[in-house]
Amino acid sequence: MTKLRFHMTFPEERVKEPILYEISQKFRVVPNIRRADVSDSSGWVELELEGELPEIERTVQYLRQRGIHVDPLEKTILEG
Amino acid sequence: MSNPSASPRPFPEDRKASSLMRGLKCRECGRIYDLAPVHVCDFCFGPLEVDYDYEAIGKIMSRDSVDKGPKSLWRYKHLLPIAEEPTIGLYAGMTPLVKADRLGKALGLKNLYIKNDTVNHPTLSFKDRVVAVAINRARELGFRTVACASTGNLANSVSAHAASAGMECFVFIPHDLEAGKILGNLIYRPTVVAVRGNYDDVNRLCSEIGGEYPWAFVNINIRPYYAEGSKTMAFETAEQLGWRVPDQVVVPIASGSLLTKIWKGFQEFSRLGLVDSHPDLKVNGAQAQGCSPVYQAFAAGRTQFVPVKPKTIAKSLAIGNPADGYYALDVIGKSHGQVEAASDPEIVEGMVLLAETEGIFAETAGGVTVACLKKLAEKGAIRPDELTVAYITGNGLKTMEALTGYLPEPVGIDPTLASFQKIVNPS
Repeated sequence: MTKLRFHMTFPEERVKEPILYEISQKFRVVPNIRRADVSDSSGWVELELEGELPEIERTVQYLRQRGIHVDPLEKTILEG
Repeated sequence: MSNPSASPRPFPEDRKASSLMRGLKCRECGRIYDLAPVHVCDFCFGPLEVDYDYEAIGKIMSRDSVDKGPKSLWRYKHLLPIAEEPTIGLYAGMTPLVKADRLGKALGLKNLYIKNDTVNHPTLSFKDRVVAVAINRARELGFRTVACASTGNLANSVSAHAASAGMECFVFIPHDLEAGKILGNLIYRPTVVAVRGNYDDVNRLCSEIGGEYPWAFVNINIRPYYAEGSKTMAFETAEQLGWRVPDQVVVPIASGSLLTKIWKGFQEFSRLGLVDSHPDLKVNGAQAQGCSPVYQAFAAGRTQFVPVKPKTIAKSLAIGNPADGYYALDVIGKSHGQVEAASDPEIVEGMVLLAETEGIFAETAGGVTVACLKKLAEKGAIRPDELTVAYITGNGLKTMEALTGYLPEPVGIDPTLASFQKIVNPS
């Protein structure tokens, strides 16, 4: 089992959807929210996903397809 | 070059502490951690920052002690996160603070200075400050390998410092990066790893590698120490101004760390009594329009920013999801500063204006700073008599391609005096 930490940004059109519940049902991963700030128009969540690495990869891919911006917890690491 | 060990080793045990550093402190919940290679609070995932013993520092640091120090950023070593004497990057910092009268005249500013990090040592950008600190700290922590993910200045500086320290070095880049971008790196003989994927993929991989290998990944596990090097921009500014804090500063924003640390540097000097407190200092940010998440949040009056896909010639500022973007917005708000953004043509105009007025050839990020400085002056956010410092963070020789098509061709003549007089027609 692996634990990876992510920063996820939700656009306005996704803020009201229970997406984290969805991923815990669709994939064998355990989301563990540690910090978040959500408003009517946007929101971010910092969480840990625990599961087998390929399952975490599939989860991240699914979230990106749903329009969620997923970065590692450190956000942009690749600098100029 | 050798391959990394397949099975990660434990982190070094010889984590030396300094009496001037009390530990690492979570910026969000305030929990204290050992002075280890960690960057995130285990509890709330907030970023960690070095917590200093300012009372002890105040007893040994004075204007006089600084004056007797080396002509480098290490003259401020008591406010930097190292426990022992530095051995690497000994010539970084103490770059010129240029009184920019000709640029000031063009912008209507009578008291303008340029902090010129285009001539930083050894790789001609402000990254030499943060990397010098990071590599010294990494050695103190027992690391033998350093790493970074970078397409430009950071890679250059990490590679050069690692070479001079005799450390193994890994640089991660996207596989489709133009070859020219990494040539300047290869001379230092790092292992350059071209990742088959996009920028997001490189990011994800590096985060995972940072957690897996016993390497000093400068902007991941060493970040709390690395970022502190940026404070020296403020320390030098204050000292070079005759121990004064300016009224206004204009700082380019990539991750947002430089801006927050310049603010912190002035606060620390004030706290130690090295300068008079200046509560009216305004910290202004400069972004490229093609990658302006902080500007967009500021303009909309939001405290949160939305990540963007960078599309700008200012590659060294092209950070779509800036780690310290929130904190940069906070400093700008607290100091009543502003954020401006410059288009690609405005960036080039800024580079040209700086070069033709002050003889300073800055990279595209410098063009962003000058273009945004111009906008702030034009709209009256900076008054003509205010003591203003603009931070120029990298050398123009690194981004020559941005100028293609913007500059006039040479005047061609025949090798005769008549041709010279006819075509050039000097008065």
